[in-house]
Amino acid sequence: MNEEIQRKIFHYLKKRKIENFIGVPDSTLKYFIDEGLNNNNIIITTREEEAIGIATGMALSKNNSLVFMQNAGFANSISTITSLVELYKIPLIFLIGWRGYLPDDAPEHLKIGKIQPELLKMIGLKTKIITEKNWKLCCDWAVNQIKEKKPCALVIRRMFHD
Amino acid sequence: MIRKEAVKIVAKNAGKNPIVSANGFMSRDLFEVNDKESNFYMIGSMGLASSIGLGIALKNPKKRVFIFDGDGNILMNLGSLVTIGSLKPKNLIHVVFDNNSHESTGNQPTNSSKINLEKIAKNTNYKIFVIKSKRKLVLVLDQIKKLNGPIFLLIKISTSNERSKRVSWKPKDIRDRVINSL
Repeated sequence: MNEEIQRKIFHYLKKRKIENFIGVPDSTLKYFIDEGLNNNNIIITTREEEAIGIATGMALSKNNSLVFMQNAGFANSISTITSLVELYKIPLIFLIGWRGYLPDDAPEHLKIGKIQPELLKMIGLKTKIITEKNWKLCCDWAVNQIKEKKPCALVIRRMFHD
Repeated sequence: MIRKEAVKIVAKNAGKNPIVSANGFMSRDLFEVNDKESNFYMIGSMGLASSIGLGIALKNPKKRVFIFDGDGNILMNLGSLVTIGSLKPKNLIHVVFDNNSHESTGNQPTNSSKINLEKIAKNTNYKIFVIKSKRKLVLVLDQIKKLNGPIFLLIKISTSNERSKRVSWKPKDIRDRVINSL
């Protein structure tokens, strides 16, 4: 996803009362995170599960949060999502970089990239793939999900190599 | 001192302030000795009580937020000490009830007896207190009342065969009670 849209997404969500952005970086989401850092609105954690814990504490304080991560971090977080976020129905937005989407991506991304859609489905986390065309609709959807106290995920495809 | 005794002393001292308790026997003990709305009983997601407590502390600067951790729990999320120490919430009190074992799963040993948890906490910007008796615990709780956090209390406890009942609140009710209390 291009730089301009990634930066716009940050402000679009911020305007819609998503107040905290917490996670572990992904180059797929580089400009989104950079925009958050410029606005002094990012907490970088040591692991993704830690980010989910902090966002949960904030959600319990009636403060909407987004947790960003690579899909490797999503795989790390499955037990936390099932035994904390879904168990207590904590309203959080996940933003996940889809590494291994391109078939010639780096070898360490390929397996998780392949099983990611099915993993999301199996754990019952509602997901939309966010693109340069549908990003506003996807953001509105995610904001509505957490208004209804439901967690959800937005996935950004990695369309480049580095 | 066993965990349940120590939990009771700290929970009473916390008053109406929020407490996030680790999974396993920790949450059960807290539920049995001092159930209240602002207790977040974490029943899964081992290791994350400190992170959930940090999120609550950052958004509720007027409340003193207590984390009831175990040695097994904090060893699973040592990274949270780094994040807490870098954000330095003044209202966060991190209590580790250390029995050198995974008591909830059958007393298997942890490695907390072989390292110095308090030194790790000290190096991540906590004010630290190591407590080995009930008398000292009461003294320290009084001493920290006017102290800014993050504060780390390492309470050395012994294992016990006493078992508290399971938390009877449903997870969604635990969530709503905490939301309403904050």
